[in-house]
Amino acid sequence: MSESVVDTVSHQTGETLVDVQDLKTYYEDGGLLGSDPVKAVDGVNFEIARGETFGLVGESGCGKTTLGRTLIQLETATSGAVSFDGTDITELSGGDLKEWRRNAQMVFQDPESSLNDRMTVGEIIREPLDVHEQGTARERREKVRTLLDQVGLMPEHYYRYPHQFSGGQRQRIGIARALALEPEFVVLDEPVSALDVSVQAQILNLLEELQEEFGLTYLFIAHDLSVVRHICDRVGVMYLGNLMEVGPTEQLFQSPENPYTRALLSAIPEPDPTVQVDRITLPGSPPSPRDPPEGCPFATRCPVRIRPEDIDASDAVWDRIREFRDVIRERSRAEQSVGERLKERLGFDTALADSEEIVEEEFDDVTLPPDVQEHVEQAATYLSDGDPDAARAYLREVFGGQCDTETPQYYDVDDRQMSFCHRHAQEHVSPGEELRQRGYDTHDG
Amino acid sequence: MMETELTEDIDQPLRDRLKAHPGPALLWGAGLCLLLLLEGPTYLDGLLGAIGFGLGLLPGAPGAEAFASASAFFSELPHLLSRELIPNRGYYDGSAWQGTFLGLEPKYAWLIRFLLVYAYVAVLLGWLWYGYVTFRRHYRAADWTPTDDVIDRLRSHYWGLFGLAVVVFFITMAAFAPVVGPTTAEENIQGPYSHDMQYYDADTETVETITIGEANLGSASRGSGDSNVGIWSYDDFGRFHPVGTLVSGKDLFTFLAFGARVSLFIGLGSMAIAGFIATTLALVTAYYKGVADLIVVLTSDSVQAMPALLLVILATVVFKNHWIAELYNGAMLFILLFALIRWPGLWRAVRGPALQVGEQEWVDAAKSYGQRPTVIMRKHMAPYILGYLLVYASLTLGGVIISVSALSFLGLGITAPTPEWGRAINIGQQYIASQSWHISLIPGILITLVVTGFNALSDGIRDAIDPQSEGAEGGAAGAAAGGGGG
Ligand code: SF4
Repeated sequence: MSESVVDTVSHQTGETLVDVQDLKTYYEDGGLLGSDPVKAVDGVNFEIARGETFGLVGESGCGKTTLGRTLIQLETATSGAVSFDGTDITELSGGDLKEWRRNAQMVFQDPESSLNDRMTVGEIIREPLDVHEQGTARERREKVRTLLDQVGLMPEHYYRYPHQFSGGQRQRIGIARALALEPEFVVLDEPVSALDVSVQAQILNLLEELQEEFGLTYLFIAHDLSVVRHICDRVGVMYLGNLMEVGPTEQLFQSPENPYTRALLSAIPEPDPTVQVDRITLPGSPPSPRDPPEGCPFATRCPVRIRPEDIDASDAVWDRIREFRDVIRERSRAEQSVGERLKERLGFDTALADSEEIVEEEFDDVTLPPDVQEHVEQAATYLSDGDPDAARAYLREVFGGQCDTETPQYYDVDDRQMSFCHRHAQEHVSPGEELRQRGYDTHDG
Repeated sequence: MMETELTEDIDQPLRDRLKAHPGPALLWGAGLCLLLLLEGPTYLDGLLGAIGFGLGLLPGAPGAEAFASASAFFSELPHLLSRELIPNRGYYDGSAWQGTFLGLEPKYAWLIRFLLVYAYVAVLLGWLWYGYVTFRRHYRAADWTPTDDVIDRLRSHYWGLFGLAVVVFFITMAAFAPVVGPTTAEENIQGPYSHDMQYYDADTETVETITIGEANLGSASRGSGDSNVGIWSYDDFGRFHPVGTLVSGKDLFTFLAFGARVSLFIGLGSMAIAGFIATTLALVTAYYKGVADLIVVLTSDSVQAMPALLLVILATVVFKNHWIAELYNGAMLFILLFALIRWPGLWRAVRGPALQVGEQEWVDAAKSYGQRPTVIMRKHMAPYILGYLLVYASLTLGGVIISVSALSFLGLGITAPTPEWGRAINIGQQYIASQSWHISLIPGILITLVVTGFNALSDGIRDAIDPQSEGAEGGAAGAAAGGGGG
């Protein structure tokens, strides 16, 4: 089952509508000149078949919204390609881009913010038609009435203002606007997350009906996994700008392969309370997208990270090493920020000032094997010399395995299911096996 | 009442709705025409005169002559609010007043005209309001708009309404300056020796003719002895002075009315230009961010770092003999100067709201279907910052008026003989402790009142557009205090 795939091959029986190849979207967010860009999307490959609903899940800040916005050219891709029906849309500009835009629209997350309160509902829905000069004024108004009807609103809502509507109704207006130009592809950016639970189902049903009626292709961005499971045909799991795993929804939920997906899914409450499943709680927090890890993006938190063979230590010791590296990592990042440095100089940031203390705090209740002890001391020396970067590089050198140095590939793990992890290579123990060995419960047998 | 119309045809544009139900609109239109016709010649005179003035600035002044003469033609036509219809000047021939309106005392004749002007403006504004209400009731398709709430809040904001009333009072005074004064600037102030008047000499019991200049010599307010014409009094020549005379014997009320013109012209003109610059830059920087924002921040910082008063003084000296300083006795120069100095303050005030609205998802939505950036800025962003602009512009406007007066007070402002409030304060300064106190005090009170009026209006608008902000405002006091500095 561990066959490596170099290029993404279409796993979909249907025809491909959107083909994303090695897409990267970095952005400078104002900030200090010369600071590292935010690597919101950092090399992503996947395809969306015509007529399907592709879900994109991940924690907030993982880049899923930026990815969605790049697909409809609200953000400019840094590199890579997005081919839509065969055209690379990242190359489009001017009139061509404007013309293409009618093919791809977006439904936004926050119905409070997505509608201009100073315009009537009619004007809001009509604006895309006006921009693309479709038909006469009367025909456009007629079209708006039809749209209002299709999304479950009344024709007399034409002259009302968004203030006069509830969240669910406002989202219907947003959907009508997105459909006005009869697009093929619609990005749904957490379209129900801001709504009451009772309204969520109505909107999801509406979206499904509309998909059927107009043959729409959806990219459904969400962090609510149960919603994704309900509506999506296939799902991609994102972490720190990378797609960790892709597969058909049910299959992926039943038998996740990638360590991150396993961790994410273990957070869903078990419907059957008699089944006891330990959650895989991830240590630490996701690293900054300005400074992602070099190998696997998940390497800093992965419970089954591949360890170097030449060091023999207990799980507890490895845990401490991981924490220690996190601290050093934070510290070297802190060095990069002028504000932090200033703070430190003014004496605000004294908690991490003493390297001895850090080492003691991390390792005081475990006994370290001699070689580990040696490495830790060496790192502490770099640290007390005021060079956390060197300490960080050194630790990576001695304790980092393949996960820290090499970017994984996509492996076909099951029918149409791909995972981005070294552990699927033949020479390694698979993630599920390794998880069990390290004492976690897993979904699959 | 909307229900029936809505179900009939939701799509009717305004034109069709008017056609379907023309009654109220026709009534209102007729009323408006009547009101405008009453004063038609004044409007045409003003409009054509302004065009002629504008053309006169162009090289060769094409057609300026024609407009000037057309404007002169209309100024001769009879209309409601005119000195000819309600004259207040005449002489008392021992038994009755000659030449005044209905033979009334000049005092009452003037008062009637003065009140008539304000009554006309009140009716006109009332009629415009009625027009809005009519539109809302009969023709607007939406039965509620967000603006309705703003207007409702402003209507119950008495401090704001007071400000509005003061502002309207001064604008009316400025607009109708040639009619509201007991005499005109041209006769009384600009060329007193080119105009004659008649008065009744009680000693000889004859009607004498004298130039206005000579008469002014006899009506001077100089503080001591007989030489004072105070508030609400006549001079020796039977002329009525509502707020007394100047040291030169000229009528103070007329001086102040024309002074209001200059002050408001500079204030509104500079705020219009500064507001336009501020809005444009705020929209562009909020939309594009990054480098555009940085450039504007740096520019506005450097403008604000300049000592404003010094800069204005320097400019008045440098441009002393330049053609630009000739326009309206230097008023144009001040408009440009104050626009230059004041736009950064306005920009800063609207930058926050602009950045905020730029982050809204509806802006992204508009981008996603390919709306042009200029349209996005105008349609999806500008409406949200105009309220704030109004608030800060009317605050700043008070400061500009104070600055102009301060400059005139120092002898640097609008050149004589064009009336300016600050100059009256300067002239009367040494008589403030004498019986001629009115020369300084009255214009001083007016300046305070008009600045307070604009501040009150700005408070009203702020609370109306942003009901949450009430009480959380340190900017008002700061801007008013900063206003005095120029
Ligand atoms: S590549 Fe390594 S760090 Fe990344 S998910 Fe797989 S085991 Fe974990």
